[in-house]
Amino acid sequence: MTIDDISTLIGRISLRDRAAFSQLYKKTSPKLFAICIRILRDRNEAEEALQEIYVKIWQRADRYATGETSPMSWLSAIARNHAIDVIRARKPVANTIDEAYDLADPSPDPEKSALNSAEGRRIETCMEQLDRERAEAVRKAYVEGLSYQELAELFNVPLNTMRTWLRRSLLKLRECMDQ
Amino acid sequence: MTIQNPESGDFRRDEVIAGEYVLGVLSAEDRRKVEARMVLDRSFAAMVGRWQDNLSSFEDEYEPVVPPARVLTMVERRLFADAVSSAPAAAVSGGFWNSLVFWRGLTLAAVIGMAAIGTINSGLLSGSQGGKPLVAELSGEGSTSINLLAQYDGESGALRVVPVAARQTEEKSLELWLIVGDKPPQSLGVLPQTGKGEIIVPQAMRAKIAEGATLAVSVEPFGGSPTGSATGPVIAVGKTRSL
Repeated sequence: MTIDDISTLIGRISLRDRAAFSQLYKKTSPKLFAICIRILRDRNEAEEALQEIYVKIWQRADRYATGETSPMSWLSAIARNHAIDVIRARKPVANTIDEAYDLADPSPDPEKSALNSAEGRRIETCMEQLDRERAEAVRKAYVEGLSYQELAELFNVPLNTMRTWLRRSLLKLRECMDQ
Repeated sequence: MTIQNPESGDFRRDEVIAGEYVLGVLSAEDRRKVEARMVLDRSFAAMVGRWQDNLSSFEDEYEPVVPPARVLTMVERRLFADAVSSAPAAAVSGGFWNSLVFWRGLTLAAVIGMAAIGTINSGLLSGSQGGKPLVAELSGEGSTSINLLAQYDGESGALRVVPVAARQTEEKSLELWLIVGDKPPQSLGVLPQTGKGEIIVPQAMRAKIAEGATLAVSVEPFGGSPTGSATGPVIAVGKTRSL
């Protein structure tokens, strides 16, 4: 299965091609189902979510623009966003984006900068530059859809510490990826 | 890396919020705020998109699980259950173009960028930014009309219109129209009946086909409109955009 295949299928779906839709479902549903199971941690809910996700894919296929993002990550984003919306609705967490963010100034790190290539770098390389625990927190947040509260409990740190960890880690990743 | 931009504080905060959104740690309410901002603020939406691309390699951790067959059955039932019952639309004649009901009732163009469009390259469109080829999906109401995919290569002036699931089988022609702003529609030509042909857009018209222009298709007597303006029902319409 190549990226082009999936992207072509999405294009055909946007023209209301049902055969393309069931083909896309066959090719991609195991991955998207895995996302639902992992984030929702409940098979029945995951099945229900998967239904909603493919209804959305059918409805939004015309908004997929080749080149802007890879077709698989476009599909995964629909799946993850839906699954995360379901758990955030089920188990509300505090609003945060209107509060102050403690981002600190990025400290230039000449040693590490020297390793940078001119090309944009892969996330895995940049993840290695984070402290192990923080990198793990970033990964768990993404893969399992954990909230700040859940992450704080898991890593046994205060909630605010976890927020600062993740936010600063995001900035470091951004800077690293941009170099 | 130091950031010199005096507005970097906000910029960095935006980057973090975009990243938090993609990670999934925000509350439901905050997620809606982020999504609303993505609609209004293209550069912020681009930040979110970049995080999405950057972090998507974490998805290797999801080991595929084949879902039970009933899921697809349910999805198809939900999406296609009512499609069987609707009959093809009867052709409406006269005055359709100016009908408000028509404009209101029309499902306005879903505009797409499809992989298949990759076959048209180096389309230089004078007057449009970036000289990219244009594409428009033209769609009519519900399942009763036809869908067309229009691809325009500004360099050669080739406008390729591919009907999808055509339902008009009588001795009629499909005529393609260009609408710029409030001006009356101008004919771009009659689509070949074969379904896979091209219209070569007249030189004089080429400059007018730019991003944001509207393409529409009407059903006309065989050979095209006898009057020079659309006489039959407009079955599809769509706006162009750059790929």
